[in-house]
Amino acid sequence: MNQISKIARVSDAEAAHLARPDTLADLAAQITATAASPAGPAGPVRPAGRPRSRARRAWLIGVPLAAGVAVAAVAVTSMVSPAHRAPAGQAGHARPVPAGHGSVPVRAQVLSFVRHGQYIDVIVRDPVADPAQYRAEFARHHLNITLKLLPVSPSIVGTVVYFGGNHASAITPITATGACHEASGTDQCPVGVRVPVHFRGQADLVFGRAARPGEHYESTASAFAPGEVMHGMNIHGKTVARVEAMLRRRHATVARFNVAGNSAASNVTSVPGRWYVYDAVPWAQHQVLLFVGPSRTEPKAGAPVPGSSAPSPSPSSK
Amino acid sequence: MPAQDERQRRFEAAYTAHHGPILGYLLRRTDNPDDAADALAEVFLIAWRRLPDLPAEPQARLWLYGVARRVLANQRRGERRRSALADRLRADLVDAYRPPEYTGELARIAAAFGRLPEAERELLALSAWEGLGYGQIAEVLDCSRNAVRIRLHRARRRLAAELDRGPAQPVPHRAHVPSGDFR
Repeated sequence: MNQISKIARVSDAEAAHLARPDTLADLAAQITATAASPAGPAGPVRPAGRPRSRARRAWLIGVPLAAGVAVAAVAVTSMVSPAHRAPAGQAGHARPVPAGHGSVPVRAQVLSFVRHGQYIDVIVRDPVADPAQYRAEFARHHLNITLKLLPVSPSIVGTVVYFGGNHASAITPITATGACHEASGTDQCPVGVRVPVHFRGQADLVFGRAARPGEHYESTASAFAPGEVMHGMNIHGKTVARVEAMLRRRHATVARFNVAGNSAASNVTSVPGRWYVYDAVPWAQHQVLLFVGPSRTEPKAGAPVPGSSAPSPSPSSK
Repeated sequence: MPAQDERQRRFEAAYTAHHGPILGYLLRRTDNPDDAADALAEVFLIAWRRLPDLPAEPQARLWLYGVARRVLANQRRGERRRSALADRLRADLVDAYRPPEYTGELARIAAAFGRLPEAERELLALSAWEGLGYGQIAEVLDCSRNAVRIRLHRARRRLAAELDRGPAQPVPHRAHVPSGDFR
């Protein structure tokens, strides 16, 4: 196997030194600040004494921007048919729209730029505008930043899901206190980014948008967060049949089951109704993924198969 | 809460001991440091959430390899999920890491290796890159030791055949990803 050894791209020792120690420590702190056991009816548990982390935003923060289906529906409409929008000035359109594709709007409407010393704070005012409009506004401020929108679960619509790119570590998120619902012990809501005035790198800023019907969420909050489909639901010790009935009352269904302890069936579309539900995550509009198994309690250490309940505690995009 | 402290302590011990090897595992299997960063965050997020399932040392790393393998398989299926948890790590890796480009003999080996089915590549890699024995590979892949022995033997023969074939037309990569049953 010496031949294969030769094409190992990187050794473990090299890999361990690629990230800065504070980056690695930060990642561990962010992970342990997330809910250890989100299945519980009481909702996510925050480790005692641990500061509320901004890092929970991708999964655990609830945000009122999409507090209702109506808001989501507006977002969908705007997203799917930018080319079919009413021409500028036409009566009945609620929001100012660009005069044409690629044109530079006269006023900064979709983003706001506020200078603070050596930084510019960029807040997204309109999370459902035409992407060309964001690009144009960033360009006017000499920033090579692309804003993209990804489908996310309702309670995190309108928040920053991810940012990256070359030297993107110079960019930090801005959180707005009180702009979010209490969902996981925090009301810090990432609503924009702080960019150094002289930022000359390239960055991608990804914002959560409402999902279209059937579209998988790229990022999700807890299924039990305010604004999410299972908010307030207690699944503790309940069977699959029971939880499915509870979901039906909310016009929701189960998209997939993740079977604990069975690697061959870790993602299936039906399981016996007498099985038990351990956890849930939002999957798509009116759809969830359930973590299930035949025993009343979730298998503990010593149970078969490593990673059997992997791949993931949350749904992914297609 | 003492139970919470214990949980935290256990996670941090596993993270400290294994983040390097798990990141190595991921980077050796993906060209994209962004994906590796996201996958590392995902693997340890799963470990944190499934901590009661995490076996004691020395089995912990094998369990984590198993999780890492599934996370990567999901990514290859196109299920990418940019995680805010990995923001800083992603930036670090993009700055610090460039996957090597092979030439000559190494390029020939890499090409032959790349022509093997994904399941065989993973067997060979776990043996050569992670240095695992039959029993350990069996744990990562959740199959019998005997199955590993037989399949690894077959994979080595196929690799030798591919190397003999020499530079061939590039074979389009099959999108197939093993679902986990190597039995």
